[in-house]
Amino acid sequence: MVTVEVENLTRTFGKFTAVDQVSFSVQKGEIFGFLGANGAGKTTTIRMLCGLLMPSSGTASVAGFDVYTQPENIKKNIGYMSQRFSLYEDLTVRENIRFYGGVYGLSRPQISSKTDELLEFLKLQDQADALTASIPMGWKQRLALSTAMLHDPPIIFLDEPTSGVDPVSRKNFWLLIYRLAEQGKTIFVTTHFMDEAEYCNRVSIMRDGAIIELEKPQTLKTKYNVNTMQDVFMQVVEKKSL
Amino acid sequence: MQRILYLIQKEFRQILREKTFIGLIFGAPFIQIVILGFAITTDVNHVPLAIVDYDQSQMSTRLSDAFSVTESFEFEGNLNSEQEAVQALDHGRIKMAIIIPDNFERDLKMGIHPVIQAVVDGVDGNSAGVAMAYLNQISIKLQKEWMQETGGLSARMRQVHLTAIEPRMQYNASLESVNNIVPGILATMIMLITAFLTGMSIVREREIGTLEQLMVTPIRNYELILGKVLPLIVVAFLLLNVGILAAGLIFGLWMKGNIFTLYFMSLLFALSTLGLGIFASTVARTQQQAMFIAYFFMIFAILLSGFFIPIENMPPFIQGITYLNPLRYFIVVIREIYLKGTEMGLLWKEGLAMGVFGLATFILSSLRFQKRLE
Amino acid sequence: MNRILFSITKKEFWHIIRDYQTLIIIILMPILMLLLFGYAVTLEMRQIETILVDQSHTPQSRAFLDDITSTTFFKITDRDVPEKEFEHILQQRKARCIIVIPADFARSLETQPETNIQVLVDASDPNAANYIRNYLIQISARFNFKLNPQLKMPFSVEPRILYNPDLKSYFFFVPGLVAVIILLITSLLTSIAIVREKEVGTMEQILVSPVHPLQIVIGKMIPYTVIGLIDSILILIMGRFLFGVPVLGSPWLLLLSLIIYVLSGLSFGLLVSTITESQQVAMLTAMMITLLPTLMLSGFIFPLKSMPLIFQYLSNVVPATHFLTIIRGILLKGSSLMDILPEMGALTGITILLLAISIRKFNMTLE
Ligand SMILES: Nc1ncnc2c1ncn2[C@@H]1O[C@H](COP(=O)(O)OP(=O)(O)OP(=O)(O)O)[C@@H](O)[C@H]1O
Ligand SMILES: [Mg+2]
Repeated sequence: MVTVEVENLTRTFGKFTAVDQVSFSVQKGEIFGFLGANGAGKTTTIRMLCGLLMPSSGTASVAGFDVYTQPENIKKNIGYMSQRFSLYEDLTVRENIRFYGGVYGLSRPQISSKTDELLEFLKLQDQADALTASIPMGWKQRLALSTAMLHDPPIIFLDEPTSGVDPVSRKNFWLLIYRLAEQGKTIFVTTHFMDEAEYCNRVSIMRDGAIIELEKPQTLKTKYNVNTMQDVFMQVVEKKSL
Repeated sequence: MQRILYLIQKEFRQILREKTFIGLIFGAPFIQIVILGFAITTDVNHVPLAIVDYDQSQMSTRLSDAFSVTESFEFEGNLNSEQEAVQALDHGRIKMAIIIPDNFERDLKMGIHPVIQAVVDGVDGNSAGVAMAYLNQISIKLQKEWMQETGGLSARMRQVHLTAIEPRMQYNASLESVNNIVPGILATMIMLITAFLTGMSIVREREIGTLEQLMVTPIRNYELILGKVLPLIVVAFLLLNVGILAAGLIFGLWMKGNIFTLYFMSLLFALSTLGLGIFASTVARTQQQAMFIAYFFMIFAILLSGFFIPIENMPPFIQGITYLNPLRYFIVVIREIYLKGTEMGLLWKEGLAMGVFGLATFILSSLRFQKRLE
Repeated sequence: MNRILFSITKKEFWHIIRDYQTLIIIILMPILMLLLFGYAVTLEMRQIETILVDQSHTPQSRAFLDDITSTTFFKITDRDVPEKEFEHILQQRKARCIIVIPADFARSLETQPETNIQVLVDASDPNAANYIRNYLIQISARFNFKLNPQLKMPFSVEPRILYNPDLKSYFFFVPGLVAVIILLITSLLTSIAIVREKEVGTMEQILVSPVHPLQIVIGKMIPYTVIGLIDSILILIMGRFLFGVPVLGSPWLLLLSLIIYVLSGLSFGLLVSTITESQQVAMLTAMMITLLPTLMLSGFIFPLKSMPLIFQYLSNVVPATHFLTIIRGILLKGSSLMDILPEMGALTGITILLLAISIRKFNMTLE
C-alpha cells in the first residue's frame, strides 16, 4: 500500500530551484532513506510533504491527503522531527511530553499514561523534572522522537535525527526505528551517516534538487560495484558533479 | 479547546521560570509610576532667573523681591550687567534675565512708563511661553499694588474697570499633571506588554525552531494565536492592577469610576494592540524586528493620542489620522473613568470604536498568520 | 587584530543590509518622528467645543462674547443652557468649557473695579485646560484694553527672546530626537542583537573562536553606531532645511560629543546584554534603565527644574541630560568647547565609568 506519493514535486525560492521535479512513492511499513549532500533539497522536500511549505508545482499526497488542499489532515497522520532540536529547553522533560500530548489532542488520562510509559521507555524517570536543556544530546533526540509520536501517527518524517549523537545512542535510536517499522509505521528519514543508509529498505540520493538514484542499498552497491553505501554515495555525488 | 489550555499552561511555565522577567513585569509599573508621577510635571516652575538692577532703588528692589519669592521662578541672584546676563543664558545657568533700567523709580513716579526688559532663553518654546506668562502675572499684580499706593495713580485707578476670568477646573482642580500622567501610563503599559511581548514571543519560537514543530501538529491557527495571546492578557491584567494599586498607594489617586468598566474597556483596547503584536510577528523574522515594528507603531500611537499634546493642537490633517489610533479613544476612556467617574453608557462611542478596530486588527493579523513557512 | 575586527564588522553590516525591513524602519522612523514633532506639535489649539451662557443680555456682554466667537479657538456648540445642566454637560463631554457672563455684568462693569466671568473647564486633560485658561485671559486682557483706552500700567515688560525667537517647538525637539534615536539604536538594538546569539546558541560558537569575544561584540556594535550617526545627521539635515534649525557651533565639536554619547549608549547595551539571557528580558531591561530615564529625566520634554530635587540629582547620572545641554548649546547657541566644558566633562566621565563597568562585567560573565 502506497502512503506517500510524489510526482514532479518542485519548489523554487526566487530564481533558485531547491527541489527539482522529484517523483517517488513510499510503501507502508517501509524505512525510506533520503540521502544527499548539504543543500541538496532534503529538508525542503520533507517540509512540503508535512504541509509546512507550499510546493511550487507538481503533486504530492501523504496518507491519501493532498499537500495543497488538506495539510491539516496530513498533520493528524504524521510525526515530524525537524532538523533543529525542537523541544522547549526551558521546560522540563515531563512538561514537554505533557505539552505536546495536549497539543496533539490526547485526553488527560492518555497523557498521564503516555508520559509514564515514555519516561520509563526512555529511562528518563530520574530526569523527568530536570530542564530539557540539561540532559544529554542523545536523550534529547530520543525524547524529541517520542514526543513527535505521541499521537501514534502512521507516517514519521525524521530530518537528520541522529546528528550530534554518539554511536551507542545512534544504535539505540535505530533499534527504535526498526521497532516502529515492524509495527507497520512508514519511516521517512534523512541522514548523513552512510552506515545508517544501510539499514534502510530503500534509499534515494539527491543532488542539486533532483533525485539521482532510488534503489535498495544492495542493488546500488552491486550497480556501482562497491562494498559500502559510503562508496556509492561518493561515486554518485562526485561523478555527477564533474 | 483543550489544546489552548495546554498552550497557555506552557506559556505560563516559561514566564514563571524566568525570574528576571517576573521582576520586570511587576517592578516596571511601580518604577514607572513613581518616576513619572513624581518627576514629570508638565507644569513649569522654578524657572532659573537672574536680575540686573541698574537702578538700585527702593522700587526696583521690591520688584526683585517679588520675583524671588514665587514658586514659579528660582532666583539665582543679581548680575551686574546685561552682558553678564546674556553669558549666563548662554551657559544655561539661567533661563530668564530681567533687566531694570536706570532711573526706573524716577520715571515711574513721574508717569513716564519705564520699560523693563526680560531676556528669555527660547530653546524650549513651551516653557519659555509659560515663563513669560508668569512674568506678566507677577508684574501686573505688582502694578495694581503700586497704583493703589501712589496717590496720582490711585485716582486714575478708580476709573478703570476690568474683567477677570475666574476659571473653575472641574475634576482636576489644581491641574496636577499626576492626574494626567497616571492614566496615561496605565494605558501605555497595557500597550507595551501586549504589543511587544506578543510579537516577540511568537518570533522567539520561530527563531529557536519550536514553531516549526508546532506547525506540524493538528493545532489550529486560532488556537495557536489564542494560546499565545491569552497568557499575555492575564499578565497585562495583573500589571494593570499593580499599576492601579501603585498609583493609589503612592499618589492617593484612585479611580472615581467603576473598575469593571475600566477592565472591559482595557480588554477592547488590548485587542488592537495584540493584533499589532501578531502583525509584527508575521512580518518580522527576528525578535529585534518584531520589537522595532511594535516600537515604531507605539511611538506614533502615543504622540497622536492626546496624552501629552491635546488633539486640538494638531493640524486638521493630523487630527484626521488620530481617528485611526485606538489609543486616542482609550486615553479618553481611562481619563474619564479615573477623573470623572463616567459610566459605561456615556463611553459607548469610544468603546465601539476600540472594539471595531480591535476586532479588525486582531482578525486581519490572525489571518495573515499562516501555519506555513515561507 | 584589526583585520579580524574589520571582517566581523563587515559581516554584521551585511546582516543588517540583508535585513532591509529593519533598515527601512531604522531610517524611516526618525524622519517620521521629526515630521510629526515638527508639524503635529503646534502650540495653538483650535475648535474647542464651548458653550456660551449670557445671563446679562446687554450690549456689553455681547461685545465680550463677540471677542470670543471671532476666534477659531472656540467652537460654539450651544448657548444659554440652564445652570443645573452644567455638570451634566461636562460629564457627557458635550463641551470642554462653559463660559458664563453673570446677570449683573453691565452694571458691575460700570461700578466695580473688577468683574468676574466664570468659566467651567473640563480639566480631565490638564494640558488642554491650561491652554483654555490662558487663552481666555488673553481675550479678557484685550477686552480690558478696548474698554479702558486711557489705561496705562505704571511700567511695561518687553520680552526679548534669544536663540528661538518664534518659540518654535522643533527647535527644542530636533536636538532631543537625536539623543533619543541614538540611544534607541545603540543600547536597545545592540543588546538584543547580542542576547540573540545567546538565545539561538551561536554565542557558544563565538566563545570558542580564537578571537577575543569583546572584539566580536565590538564588531557587532560598530554597524549600529554608524547607523545611529547616520540617523542623527539625517535628523540634523532635515531639521536644518525643513524647519530651519541651525547648527551655529562647530560641527566637529558636535561630532565629538555625538561619538562620546554613542559610546555611553553602547556601554549600556553591553551591560544589558551581560545581565540578561533572553531577548524579551533584554528589551524590557533596556527600556527600564536606558530609554525611560532618557525620555523622562533628561529634560527631553519635561523641564528638569520643575521636578523634585531628588530627581534633579538623579538626572545628573543620565548621560542624555548632559548630551542635551551640549547639543542644544552647539546647535542653537553656538556654544564653544569652553561654554560646555562642565557638561562635556560629566558626559565623558559617565561614559568612561559605564564602559569600564560593562567591559568588566562582560569579561566576568565569560569566565
Ligand atoms: N526559505 C528559503 N529561502 C531561500 N532558499 C532556501 C530556503 N530554504 C532552503 N533554501 C535553499 O534550498 C536549498 C536546499 O535546502 P535544504 O535545506 O532542503 O537542503 P538539505 O538537503 O536539507 O541540506 P542539509 O543537509 O544541509 O540539511 C539550499 O541551497 C537552501 O539554501
Ligand atoms: Mg536539511
